[in-house]
Amino acid sequence: MIVLEFLAGTLAIVGALLFLSVAIAQFRARDALSRINALGPATALGAPMLVLAVAIGRSLEQGLDWMLWIKTAITIVALVVVSSVASNVLARATCRSDAAVDEATHPNDLRSSQ
Amino acid sequence: MTLAFWVAGSILAAAAMIGIVRVLTARDAATRAVVGDLVFFSCICILALFGARYASSVSVDLALLASILGILATIALARIITRGQR
Repeated sequence: MIVLEFLAGTLAIVGALLFLSVAIAQFRARDALSRINALGPATALGAPMLVLAVAIGRSLEQGLDWMLWIKTAITIVALVVVSSVASNVLARATCRSDAAVDEATHPNDLRSSQ
Repeated sequence: MTLAFWVAGSILAAAAMIGIVRVLTARDAATRAVVGDLVFFSCICILALFGARYASSVSVDLALLASILGILATIALARIITRGQR
């Protein structure tokens, strides 16, 4: 039981540290595209870790509840799939729009096609 | 474990604060959309941790709905950035 508590605590803290590192990375990244890239670890790794930690924490306190674990599995799959689709859509929009893109971005077919 | 959840919650709150400062200092709309997404997810995770600590099952449903539907704001912002073109 102590191992599961330790696991839930570690998952929660590592997930939160991932969010913090991504928040700091938003300052260090030079243009919007690399910021979209830097968002990945938070939504695809940090958030599932936190959701898993919450599920373990609740199972330890309220006993095993299958509905909770089904919801947690769907949440983790949605977090990984849906957030990457949204980042992809946003990156495509950034390429097409007038946002300042790093000059090393060659070739930029999306922008030249306007 | 409770202490770990509180520490994780405060780290997430710090990340959300940094994100909000980043939104204020952002120059282009795409950066604001990205950092808005980051702040959204850190707040959802804070609520999930809060729900775990006070044994309310609504936070798990909240995390589920937020991860499925919450990204529509980012996609809407992407459409705004390109002035409605696909």
